[in-house]
Formats: sequence, C-alpha cells, structure tokens
Amino acid sequence: MNELSLASQPDVVEPIVSARGLRKKFGRKEILHGLDFDIPPGRIYGLIGHNGAGKTTTLNAMLGLTNCEGTIRVLGEDPFAKRAKLMENVAFISDVASLPRFLRVRELFALLNNIHPNFSQDKARSFLEGTDIKPEMKVKHLSKGMIAQLHLAVVMAIDAKLLVLDEPTLGLDITYRKRFYRRLLEDYMTEERTLLITTHQVDEIEFMLSDIMFIRDGELILHMQMETVNDKFTQLVVNDAAAQTAARAYNPVYEETRFGQTVMIFDGVDRNLLEPFGRLATPTLSDLFVALMQRPTANPGNAQ
Amino acid sequence: MKAFTALVHRELIEHRGAFLIGPLLLLVVLFGATVLGFTVGRVDAKFSGALLTVAPLRVYELGFLGFGVAWSLYLMATLFFYAADGFAADKRNNAMLFWKSMPVGDFKMLLSKLVAAITILPGTVYGVALLSGVLLYGVAFVAMLINGTATVGALGAIVMIYGHVALAILISIAVGLIWYLPYLALIGGLATAMGRWAIPVALVLPAIAATLEWVTLGGLHPFTTHTWNYLSYRATFPMMEDGYIDSWFVGSEPFNALLFSNELLGRVDWTQVGIGVLFALLAMYLGSEYRRRSNDN
Repeated sequence: MNELSLASQPDVVEPIVSARGLRKKFGRKEILHGLDFDIPPGRIYGLIGHNGAGKTTTLNAMLGLTNCEGTIRVLGEDPFAKRAKLMENVAFISDVASLPRFLRVRELFALLNNIHPNFSQDKARSFLEGTDIKPEMKVKHLSKGMIAQLHLAVVMAIDAKLLVLDEPTLGLDITYRKRFYRRLLEDYMTEERTLLITTHQVDEIEFMLSDIMFIRDGELILHMQMETVNDKFTQLVVNDAAAQTAARAYNPVYEETRFGQTVMIFDGVDRNLLEPFGRLATPTLSDLFVALMQRPTANPGNAQ
Repeated sequence: MKAFTALVHRELIEHRGAFLIGPLLLLVVLFGATVLGFTVGRVDAKFSGALLTVAPLRVYELGFLGFGVAWSLYLMATLFFYAADGFAADKRNNAMLFWKSMPVGDFKMLLSKLVAAITILPGTVYGVALLSGVLLYGVAFVAMLINGTATVGALGAIVMIYGHVALAILISIAVGLIWYLPYLALIGGLATAMGRWAIPVALVLPAIAATLEWVTLGGLHPFTTHTWNYLSYRATFPMMEDGYIDSWFVGSEPFNALLFSNELLGRVDWTQVGIGVLFALLAMYLGSEYRRRSNDN
C-alpha cells in the first residue's frame, strides 16, 4: 500500500485481505510475481488489468480456489486451507452464469437457506421484488440479465464481510450493468463490508470505487486511494505546439493525440505548473489505465 | 447436518429425471401395456382351460419379484451412470464456482453425492418399485375377479405377499448398495477428475491391475491372478449361488422375506463390506483433494 493511503488508515485496523510475496506458477510460467498488498475493511476496491494480467488468479488466491506461494490471509485465515469456513463471511460472483441451472429459484433459496448460515431467504426474496424473476422459474430459463440479477440477490442476501465480484456484468447490456452496480451500492454496502471488483468496464465502476489496484503481467503497478489518484495524476489537454513542447519538460507518463488535440497525463506534477499550458482535468480511470499500462511502474516505490 | 441433508436433497433435484420421472414414465408404459394386454385379449384373464393349473397368487408373487429384480437392475445401471455424471456435474455450466462459494468443503460435497447414491436416489426407485407392486396387485385382483378366483382370503394373501416381496426387494437393494459401494465410489472419485470417462476407465482398471500382478508376480495369465479373483469375488452379488430362492421356486410355499433376508444377510462378507466402506471414503477423499486443487472451474 502506498504512503498516502496508509496515512489515512488508522493503525489498529486489521486488513480484511493481506498478501505477502504472493506467487503463482502454471507449469513453468509464473503468473503472479510476488504481490504484497493489504485491503482494509469498509472499502470498495477495483482490481484492474488486461486479460491475462493475473486478476482472476489473485482473486482465486483470495477465495481459496488456488494454492499459491507466499502468504495470503483473508479475515485472518489461510483461504486455501480454510475455504469452507471462510465462505461463511465471504461471498463472490466469479461469472454471470455460474448459478446451477437445474434449480428453480425457490429451490435455490431453500437450498442456500440450509447450506449457508448467513443467507437470508427473506432478504433474497425482497431483492427480487420488482423484477421479472418468479420463484417457480428455472434458472436455465432465465435470460443472462435475469441470472445476474438473481445472483446479485443471492450474494446480497448473504451477510458477508467481503464480497468479491470478478467480471460480474460481463455480457450484460448497459441497463443491467447500471442497475447491478446501483443496487449493490444502495442495498448492500455498509462500513463493515468490503467490496472487491474486477471489470473491463472501468468507467462504469469508477464512481463507486474508494481504492484501485492496477495489475500488469502479475505485478501491482498501482495501489492507492481514489482521492490520492485525483491529487497525484493530472490530465492536460493542449493545442499549441509550443505549449506541448514546454509541457513535455515535466515528463508526462502518457501522451496521445485525439481529434487534433494532444492529451498528456502527468504523475505528481504540481497543477499550478501545468495550468499555463492548457486545460487541466483529472484523468478517468480508463485513461489512467491506458497510460500506466505502458510504462514500467506507476509508483515504483510504493506499489505493492 | 442440515447443510449435508440439503446437499443430498440437491442430488435428487438434479437427477430426478433418472431416478423419479424416468421410472414413473416406465411404470406408466408398463401398466398401460398390462391393461392393454387384458383389454385386447392378449392375456386370457379367465385362464380358459388352465384355471386349475394356475395359482394366481403365485403369478402375483413371481410378477412382483420379477418387477423387483427389474427395478434393481435399472437402479444399479442408473447409479453407475449417476456416479460418472453426478460427481462431475458441478463443473457443468461453470457452476463449480458457485458451489465453491458455499461454506461447504469438497469432501463433504462428494460425500453427499455418495450418500445420495445409497439413500435418497435408490429410495426413490424403491418407491416406484413398490408402486409397481400396487398396480400389479390391482391388475391381479381384477383378473381374479374376472376368472372367479377372487376371495377375501385371497385379498389378504396378496397383502401378505406384497409385504414379503417389498421387504425382500428392500433388503436386496440395501445389500447390493453396500456390496457395490466401493465400485460406485471408484467411479465417482474418478469422475471428479475425468467425468463420464470414469466408467470405461473403471472397467479397464481391474484388467490393468491383474495384468500388473501377472507381469510382476507371474501366473498363467492375468485372469488367474489374485487380483482378478478378488475383484471377481467382489463383483458377484452374495445371493447369486443356489439357496432359498431356488428351493422356493420349485416348491409350493409362499415367498418368505424373513427366510430370504436371513440367508442373504448371512451370505454377506461383512469384513469385505467394511473394507469397501473404507475404500469408498478413501476414493471420496482423493476425489475431493483433486477437486479442491484443480483449477477447472
């Protein structure tokens, strides 16, 4: 965790997730190269990276779905050794269509009511009110969007401390995606809960994130709070050639031309210094992602 | 325990097609064929010219026992396919990720499938077998009304026969399940890793094991080795040899489930049953470790 994000956390807070030297190999290929990070409670984390960057492997390590070298603790437990116990307080959606298709909705709820000590059937039913999903429907007859709604109702009805969402809205249309995240934020998030999301639709979750982690080729290249991102990175839109040359003196981490305008992103440069060259803004997460994925590391001293 | 029971129940929900709906459909077809046989004259309900040589109660006994054998064979075949399919079913449609998000360990998951295979699933088929006996009872009694052999005494005798045959079928199925448990578990354990291919692999394994013994320890050929002899012994149902059934068949006494059950239970090699249970638990454990470590979600 970087210095700024650490500074804003009380020292006594035990992290929900703690990883040290987390490595994973598939055959001879190393997928994760020794990740170190802590995730404190009550935060909404976005884990963002290219396909094959190691996001799902990192999540699988947290969820006890894969064994890794190094140390990882979730709620103080080793997830691979204690997955079943851990799942009482951790909920996850790893795919929009992973609900068992042979069950009816009411059968699914009844089953979960008996299997999961922290699942509330009444809550799940209430989350489905106002949707087209009926208790007698079979999961296999639901549309992809309805399955996503149902799965969200299931995980929101679990009183968990950590909710992990791995591409939870993949393949859904924009209406469902927006409804999904709004519901999550309005009906589920509390100060005691921690949410970790990976998605390629970065811009759609940006508004709700408190922290981000960028992962590239199995390494965390950025890990910080969103407020820090806003303070640290600046986007400059500049038209004038002389201003561009002058601005380049401050070493932009990224530069591209869009519709005849040059867009530069700066890391840790005082905004007052850049203001004379053009229009300043905070880069969107997707712009930052594109920018940082192209250089060795965004905050080499602090990225963990 | 509540979670485990729910998981066992889940197996019935997932496989009700093979263990409930399929048998019920078969029963409807069978009953329809029987009724049709009588109504279109294929079966002579009056047993014309042969009434004195036909014992209707014996026909009912044989019929119900025949149903029992048929349902037992159906059950065993279905269970082996269930073991190959059901133990790998959680992978279907990516659902493994959902089941792994539940606070239930992999060993418990697999154990619930094995327990379902020897309790609720055969119990359902047994229920259908009992229903087939009731339907046969109806058909037999109507036939007796037609040919004039129906009496209150015969009605009571049929109830007794029903009870005896139902008990005999229950004991036979229970013994079959515990006797063949290690084979079920072997297929289930293998299916965790290789799905439906577990059935052919499980069939080839004994031959491989026997061949390995023949190659390493010698012998006339692989099918005279200790391994092969042992597996042949373990694959043979304890009641196969001549016993009560044979003497009852040639005699005139009504079928006695207590005598049948005593003999069957007496013939069971309980040490081997114990070894089989341990083997089954080992197969489940190894399967669960594979499931826990595999990344084929």
